[in-house]
Amino acid sequence: MRVRDVDKEKLVIATAIDQIVEEGFQGFSMNKLAKACSISVGTLYIYYKDKDDLIQKIGAIIALKFFTGTIKNFSPKMTFEEGLWKQWENRADFTMKYPKEVAFFEIVKHSPHGEAILDSIKEFSDFRQIMKEFIENGLRNKEIVPLTFEVFWSIAYGPLYTLLNLHTEGKSMGGKPFSLTKEMMQEAFKATIKALKP
Amino acid sequence: METNLDTIHIFKTNIGDQDPNCPVRQKLNAHSAIQQWSIDCDDVDCVLRVVSETLMPETIIDMITEFGHECQELD
Repeated sequence: MRVRDVDKEKLVIATAIDQIVEEGFQGFSMNKLAKACSISVGTLYIYYKDKDDLIQKIGAIIALKFFTGTIKNFSPKMTFEEGLWKQWENRADFTMKYPKEVAFFEIVKHSPHGEAILDSIKEFSDFRQIMKEFIENGLRNKEIVPLTFEVFWSIAYGPLYTLLNLHTEGKSMGGKPFSLTKEMMQEAFKATIKALKP
Repeated sequence: METNLDTIHIFKTNIGDQDPNCPVRQKLNAHSAIQQWSIDCDDVDCVLRVVSETLMPETIIDMITEFGHECQELD
């Protein structure tokens, strides 16, 4: 009888993430992945129908981990400033803890797999609802100015993600070594809040 | 519910034809003992994956070779 081998599954997922981050979708194949994991191609196909199925399943695992991490100790009832800071902390923690998963998700997000992954996670609509409620509370309590959603998002999270990208690369403009500190995050956060306040 | 892994059968084939109406696909679609099937045409082995609680691998191989395709179980 075939038994699910959790360790093997974990190895397959970690190796697939490595290979896709390094070589992209084009260079990636089920055969190559099976070889790198020292398992037979047949075993790999037991778990996944094909390459697309594998990419979507791994993407869904990462996305769910990200959403769960983002709303940890967060409530949409928090004041806007308190809640956004929690979001910043949670998003920064996730990016620093799982840089490869984040890189993988960035590749997947902009591919046709992106929508399929989000549609496959039932928790995603809860996440969207929580974030919507948070912004609506901020608007109702006059803590933020009304903005086009995309403009709001780019101001609220853009500075954080720019700094996190520099941190992941380990260098800033002109190749200067860079490591993001809590102080820098707070500095950027103050400027962000100032921009969003009425 | 999670699929019982023993009901999943994996084969190496040469079914490169992607036509959804080709005879072998029609046969797989119509078979009442097959719960689910897929062919990975992107892979060199054109891997066929069949989920069936009752069919034996040999029966599936006969079904595919009948249409002139090669089919071999992958371990």
